[in-house]
Amino acid sequence: MKPANQIMKQVLRYGAVVTVAMMIGGASLGYAQESVSVRATLITGGLPLEDPNAAVWSSAPPAMFPMSPQVHWQNRIQEVTVKDVIVRALHDGNQMAVLLEYADPTQDPDDAAALEFMVGDKKAHFAHGQPMLQVEGGPVNIWFWKNKTDKAVDMSAKGFGTLKPQEHQDVKAKGVYANGTWKIVFSRNLSTAHAEEDVQITPGEFISIAFAVWDGRKDGSGDLVEKGSQKAISSWWYFRADAPPDYSGYMYAAIAAALALGFQFVLIRKLKKGQ
Amino acid sequence: MGALGKPIILMVAMYMFLKFVLPNIPGSAPLPSSLIALYLLLTGSGIVIFETLSKESKDAFWSPIQRFLTGEKMGGLQALRYGVLIFFPLLVGWQTYGSTAVSDMPPTESRTIHPAPPGEYTGLSNPVPKTPENIMQGKGFYAAYCSPCHGGNFDGKGPAARGFIPAPANFADPTTIAMLQESYLFWRIKKGGVGLPIEGAPWKSAMPRWEVELPDEWIWKIIMGEYDGAHQSPRTWE
Ligand code: HEC
Repeated sequence: MKPANQIMKQVLRYGAVVTVAMMIGGASLGYAQESVSVRATLITGGLPLEDPNAAVWSSAPPAMFPMSPQVHWQNRIQEVTVKDVIVRALHDGNQMAVLLEYADPTQDPDDAAALEFMVGDKKAHFAHGQPMLQVEGGPVNIWFWKNKTDKAVDMSAKGFGTLKPQEHQDVKAKGVYANGTWKIVFSRNLSTAHAEEDVQITPGEFISIAFAVWDGRKDGSGDLVEKGSQKAISSWWYFRADAPPDYSGYMYAAIAAALALGFQFVLIRKLKKGQ
Repeated sequence: MGALGKPIILMVAMYMFLKFVLPNIPGSAPLPSSLIALYLLLTGSGIVIFETLSKESKDAFWSPIQRFLTGEKMGGLQALRYGVLIFFPLLVGWQTYGSTAVSDMPPTESRTIHPAPPGEYTGLSNPVPKTPENIMQGKGFYAAYCSPCHGGNFDGKGPAARGFIPAPANFADPTTIAMLQESYLFWRIKKGGVGLPIEGAPWKSAMPRWEVELPDEWIWKIIMGEYDGAHQSPRTWE
């Protein structure tokens, strides 16, 4: 038989291997994440509702989403200016602000952008909530900003040709153009009194969001190239406002560690008695 | 090798298998860490029961543990003992924290890519004669209507594809039209994404509902051109 020392060394070596393997496994689980959602970071103090350049935006993680020319329904467009949008969001438990950012070489009066949300529990098709044939769909809520007015229009749609401004206008927007980049802040209260037409944002819950952008440039004969359904679009992504911090995980961890410590204590006492 | 060597090797092997081998077996997916922990716990209990069945194996199993945890004058091993005694509760706490933390991941998407078509779209055969002219015409329609998304090379990488999730189907891939019947394609092209049943997540699909723009005859020609261009042939039930 080998001396106890040598056996213990072996045990420890294998133990170390197990531990390292567990840590690697745990770590790789933690990083398997993609940028498929916009995370609205919870902050205290004022939201930068009017200021796309406020320093506090750096505390919101940016998420980038690819855009397509709208070739899904008539009238189509085969090429658009905007290829990607970068989205950040903040909330304070009461209001939220979404910063939409994209490259556009020229500032034009007809530049415009929109956020679209599913409303309520029913799924809605990303193309204006157009009817689905085997599934009963719900409406979409569209927040439409245009440079001409530098204001947001709070709109509803349930199918093509049904898009119209709501009676209750709850959304604000402010755009700033600089260095070939548009930055537009959309803002609203997390919840409104009209849940059947407005998206309601509950911290901690994922909801569906989509984007649209119109570059208001004109062609040689002075006509708008991107207008109406001829725009850059995305399909659905996720949006979530961070839930308030929850420290119960630390408490459970402390209890579990204390239990493990107690178990060791009892085990060693038992072993010592047995000797 | 002491009585503990084999059990430990067995546990490591089990972990490696669950973590790295099993997920790579076709048709399976990565196991959640809680399930891995459960399997390891079962393996561990099995080993303890096995090792403590007879008096000798029981002693052989416990005595190194006992020596390590209670032995005196062991020099460096004693320091290691305290290390283990501190590390183990911390590890338990860490694992508990990890398993209670709220997930940052969006809801998992399980979308059925090829759900069953409505009854009236099973078993239809292409009424258009398979002539070179018809195939040519179908390819022309494909270039005009489908290639912006599905790509001029039928690979799903058209210039308008990038913003759409799920991505436009890649017809050169053997798991799309090569495993479908012409009848199924006729349904999908006519009714589009919005025609999918709930398990196909119709609200996400950018596939247009072509029945509002294209006559049936064109759709049948497009199907012909699509198979020909992608170098695939429809699935048949002979
Ligand atoms: C706006 C982009 C777009 C256009 C244009 C488009 N498709 Fe699609 N198509 C998609 C997307 C996205 C999917 C995958 C989602 C789905 O199955 O609905 C798809 C799926 C399909 C499928 C199902 C393949 C499978 O394996 O289940 C067929 C068949 C198809 N398209 C044919 C066509 C044909 C034919 C045309 C032209 C007449 C066309 N598509 C035009 C976006 C498009």
